[in-house]
Amino acid sequence: MRLRALVASGLAAGVVLLSAPAAVAMEEEHEIPVGVEENSDLGEEELHCLAEQVAAFEALEANPEAGSRVETCEESPNPILPATNEIVWGGIAFLVVFFLMWKFAVPAIRKGLQAREDRIRSDLEAAEAAKQEAENLRGQYQQQIADARAEAGRIIDEARQAADAMRRDVHESAEAEATAARARAESEIDLTVSRAQSDLQREVADFAVRLAERIVERNLDRDAQQALIDQYIAEVGGLGGNGRSRGGNGSGGSASDN
Amino acid sequence: MTTEATPGVLDDYALALFAAARGEDMLDLVEDQLFSVARAFEANDELRQKLSDQQIPVATREAIIEDLLGEGAAVITRALVSFIVAAGRASQLPGIVDAFVDAAAASRQHVVGEVRSAVALDEQQQRQLAQALSRATGKTVEVKVVIDPSVVGGVVAQVGDQVIDGSVRSRLQQLREGL
Repeated sequence: MRLRALVASGLAAGVVLLSAPAAVAMEEEHEIPVGVEENSDLGEEELHCLAEQVAAFEALEANPEAGSRVETCEESPNPILPATNEIVWGGIAFLVVFFLMWKFAVPAIRKGLQAREDRIRSDLEAAEAAKQEAENLRGQYQQQIADARAEAGRIIDEARQAADAMRRDVHESAEAEATAARARAESEIDLTVSRAQSDLQREVADFAVRLAERIVERNLDRDAQQALIDQYIAEVGGLGGNGRSRGGNGSGGSASDN
Repeated sequence: MTTEATPGVLDDYALALFAAARGEDMLDLVEDQLFSVARAFEANDELRQKLSDQQIPVATREAIIEDLLGEGAAVITRALVSFIVAAGRASQLPGIVDAFVDAAAASRQHVVGEVRSAVALDEQQQRQLAQALSRATGKTVEVKVVIDPSVVGGVVAQVGDQVIDGSVRSRLQQLREGL
């Protein structure tokens, strides 16, 4: 539909443009002097004017009274203002072309421009989105890099702290073991000394008691034995009914329940 | 044959001995002789081992008992000791004899006071000691004297579960502990 409108408007414009100069040329034709056609730098109107002037000059030579026409020709050429019929036909053609352009070409062009604008906008938006996504990805990568660096730093710190803690633990453990070993050694030394003192004391006591036994046995003759027995009888008789008193002079009895 | 030393078994044997001795009307004599045999049995490890050895024939052990009791022992005393040894209760002889002595004393409304001394006590000392122990325990005490050199000097008396120790040995032991 749009292509067909463009083709129709183009054909109409071509017809108008081709028909207007043809009509003008049909309405007035002038013979261009020989030799002037070779000058391709001149315009068509200038050629016509030049031809008219040449004709007027020839007529003036033939009839000097006809000089006013030459003067008219010299005054009429206006490079800007075209001839009236040309203006009319040109205006009609312009209006037709303008109408056709306005009716068919402009909407199509506008639609094409709009489509192109939309496509460009879409492309720009896509590019912007891609750029934004790239920015986001770059931000994510940078964040990941920063996180990785922070993680690496944290791991290094933890490893350093763990190493410090382990070093402290080993040091403290070694000190504790050394202290415990020293304490054990001191305790064993004290125990050994105490045991030796106790053994020595017991040996001394045993020796003293054995010595006392020998002395007592040597001095315990029959009279002494009888005296001890009599003393025991006297002390047991003095216990009364309780049976719990204890001899107080070193040879009396002590009562106990088995 | 079992050799388990349970109080009930010891009491049964003691009551059997007691009935036999009283039946013969020789309770005091048998009591003294059995008491002496029991104390000798306690003091002599070799004697205790031989009489308790079931591998040694009974006749051999009875011969050992004959030698131990001597000629002065009553026939019933020999018979009772032989009976205990033949019954396989030799290792429990001291316990059986102690239960027998207690039963005999109880029949007289008395209790037995076992007195250990390094030297023998004369009759007067035994009588005074029995009176003293009776006053101390509140019971009528019969004294049974055991000569025990380990006492060194003085006397150790045991009446029932009560021990009254006045020996030099205990004094020396106290001295040892004090040192």
